[in-house]
Amino acid sequence: MSARKLTAMMRRSVPYAIAIAGSVAITAAIAVVQARTSVSGLETVYLLLVLWLGVRWGRWPAVVASVCAFLLYDFFFVPPVGTFTVRGPSELLELVVLLAVALVTGQLAASLRRSHAESEAIASEARALYQLATAALRSPEVTSALSLLCGRATAIRGVSLFSLVAMDFGHAVPLAGGELTADQLKQAAWAHENGRSVGVSISDGTIQLMKTRPDPGGPAYLPLASGVAVMRIDVAHPAPEDLRMLAALTGLAGLLLDRRRAALESERARGFEASDRLKAAVLSSLSHELKSPIASLRAGLTALLSPRAGLEPEQKALLQDLDRQANRLDHMVGDMLALSRLEAGVALDKEPHRFADLVGSALRQLRSDLKGREVTVDADEDLPPVDVDEVQVGRVLVNLLENALEWAPAGGRIALGAAARDGHLEAWVENDGPFIPASDLDRIFDTFWTRRARGSGLGLAICKRVVEAHGGTIRAENMRRGPRFTFTLPLAQVAATR
Amino acid sequence: MQRALRTGLGYHGFDVHAVGSGEEAVRESAAWRPDVVLLDLGLPGMDGFQTLAALRPHTRAAVIVVSVMPGERDKVRALDAGADDYVVKPFGTEELVARIRAVLRRQADVTSGEPVIRSGDLEIDLAHRAVRVGGKPVRLTPTEYELLRYLALHAGKPVTHSTLLRQVWGAYAVGDKYNTRYVVAQIRKKLGDDSSNPRYIVNEPGVGYRLEA
Repeated sequence: MSARKLTAMMRRSVPYAIAIAGSVAITAAIAVVQARTSVSGLETVYLLLVLWLGVRWGRWPAVVASVCAFLLYDFFFVPPVGTFTVRGPSELLELVVLLAVALVTGQLAASLRRSHAESEAIASEARALYQLATAALRSPEVTSALSLLCGRATAIRGVSLFSLVAMDFGHAVPLAGGELTADQLKQAAWAHENGRSVGVSISDGTIQLMKTRPDPGGPAYLPLASGVAVMRIDVAHPAPEDLRMLAALTGLAGLLLDRRRAALESERARGFEASDRLKAAVLSSLSHELKSPIASLRAGLTALLSPRAGLEPEQKALLQDLDRQANRLDHMVGDMLALSRLEAGVALDKEPHRFADLVGSALRQLRSDLKGREVTVDADEDLPPVDVDEVQVGRVLVNLLENALEWAPAGGRIALGAAARDGHLEAWVENDGPFIPASDLDRIFDTFWTRRARGSGLGLAICKRVVEAHGGTIRAENMRRGPRFTFTLPLAQVAATR
Repeated sequence: MQRALRTGLGYHGFDVHAVGSGEEAVRESAAWRPDVVLLDLGLPGMDGFQTLAALRPHTRAAVIVVSVMPGERDKVRALDAGADDYVVKPFGTEELVARIRAVLRRQADVTSGEPVIRSGDLEIDLAHRAVRVGGKPVRLTPTEYELLRYLALHAGKPVTHSTLLRQVWGAYAVGDKYNTRYVVAQIRKKLGDDSSNPRYIVNEPGVGYRLEA
C-alpha cells in the first residue's frame, strides 16, 4: 500500500474517529455532571454532536456517532447500569430518534454540501473562462490566445486532444492545439463544409457525446462559424461540469476564430483596394505617356494653321488632314484606355442624375459634328433620376451618337429617347441609316469588331461594358426606320428634395 | 509642346513667356505679371496643385490648367484650388485661344463692375435682383436666384458642385449634388430652357455647371 493511499485512508477515517471520540467525551462529561447534580435530559447533548457531524461530514459519521452515543448512554446511565439491555419502547424510541436525526441531518448536510460544491465549481469555471476570455481578447495575436484556450481544454479530465482548425477561404488551416493528421484535417473540412458535427454536438451550453460515431477511436469534429473544433474525449461518462467547461471553451474559440476571419477579410479587402489603386495609377501614367506626344503633335499642327504662319492653302489642307489623323489617334487611345479601365474594374462614381442632363452634355460635346443633322429627344422632363456614373454614361451616349452619325445619311435624323420601364430606365438612340444585318446584331458589341473599315471596334464594346457595370443590358435591333440601340440604367433611390 | 504653344499663341498675337518648372513660374509671375497663366498639372518637381497654391497670392492672372489626366477629380480639385478653367490635352490652338480670350473677357467684365450680366437673351440684373428672358421678368425662389447669381458672377467659368453648395446653401450645408441638379432643373424650367439642349446653364460632366457667357 502506498503512502499516499494510506494518508487518504487516514483522512477518510478522521470523521469516524471524531464521532467515536466525541461520543465518549460527551458520555464522560454527562457522568461528571450527573455525579454532582441530578439533571435529566442531558442525553440531548449527543444530538448536538450528531447534528454537527452530519453537517460537517455527512450521514455516515453521524450514524456512527448516534449508535455509539446510544450504546454508551445505555451502558452507563440507563438502569441497569453496566448492561446493554434495552427495556421498554421509550428507550427504543430514543435510539430511533438519534438515528433519524443522524440520517436526516446527514442527508441535508450532504445535499447542502453538494450544491455548495457545484456553485463553487461553476464559479471557478466562470473565473477560468473570464480570465481566458480577457487574456484572449487583450492579446492582439489571436493564434496565441487560441493556444492558451486549447491548453485549458486539454487540462480537463478525459480530454486528450483539443485542436482548432480555421477555414480560410475554403482551406483548412490548423491553428492551435494538438497535431492533426492530413486525414483529420480533411475530415474537419468536410464537417465544416456540410455543417455536420461528428461524434459530439453542442447544445444548451454543454457538449453531448453522440452514441453513434463512424470512427469510435477517432476524434470528434464540431463545426463553428469560421472553423472546426477537433476534440477527443477518452472517458465514457465525463463529469457534466467538465462538459460545460468544454462547451464554453468551444464557444470562446468560435468567437476568436470569427475575429481572426474578420481581420483576414479586411486585410484582403485592403489588398484589393491597393491593387485597384495600382491599376488606376498604371493606366493614368500610360495615358500620360501616350497622350503627351499626340498633344504636342496637335498643338504644333494647329499652330501652323494660323494665317500668320503664311502657309499655302494646299499646305494648310495637308496640315488639317494630319490634325484629323492625330485627333483620331487620340480618340482610339482614349477608347483603349477607357476599355482597360473598365476591364480593370475601376470603381464607378454613381450618383443620381437626370437623364435629360446626361443627354444635354453629350449633345453639347458633339455640337460641331451634329450640325446639319436633325436630332430629336423624346425624354419626359419628369423621368425619375438614374443612379449612374455621369462621365461613363456620358461616354455611352457620345459613342452611340457617334455611331449614329457615322451611319445616318447626310441630313438624316437621329432620335434619342428614354422611358421608365420595370424599375429601370430604358434609353435608346436610333438613326435612319441602313439596317444592321441580323447576323451582326449579336457581335456588334464585341471588342475590336467593326463594320467600318476605319473604325476601332471599341466604341460599342465600351458602351456594353459601361452599361453592364451599371447592372443594365444593351441590345441592337432594326426598327421600322433604321437601327436602334437600346440600353437600361438603374433608377436612383432618391426622393427629390426642395 | 512648349515650342508649339509658343509659336501658335505668338501667331495669335500673344506675348508668351515659357518657364520649365513650378518654382520658376511662381518667381517669374511676380516680376513679369502675366494676364493668363497656362499651368500643366504634370510638372517636374513642385506639382501643378502646389504651383497653383503658390501662384495665387502673387498674381491676379487667370490660371488655365492644362492636363492629360482625364480624371474629373483633378478638374474639380484644380477649380476648387482657384483655377479659372481647364483644357484637356490634346487640344487645337484655336480651342486654346478661345479659352484664353474667354478668361480675359471675364476678367475685364469683373473689373468693370457691370451690374447686368447677359447670356444670350437672359439678363441677370444684380442691382435689382431681377432676372429677365427676352425682356420678360422671371420669378425665381431665393435659392434659385442665389445659384444663378453665383454662376452669372462667374459667367463662362465652370463652377464645381461643392462651390455651388457652399456658396448657395452655406458653409455647413448638408446637401448633396442632387440638390444643385434639382435646383438647376427648376431654373431651366422657369427660363424656358431644355435640359437636353440647354442654352444658358450647361453641364460640365463630373465637375459642375457653367453659365454660357
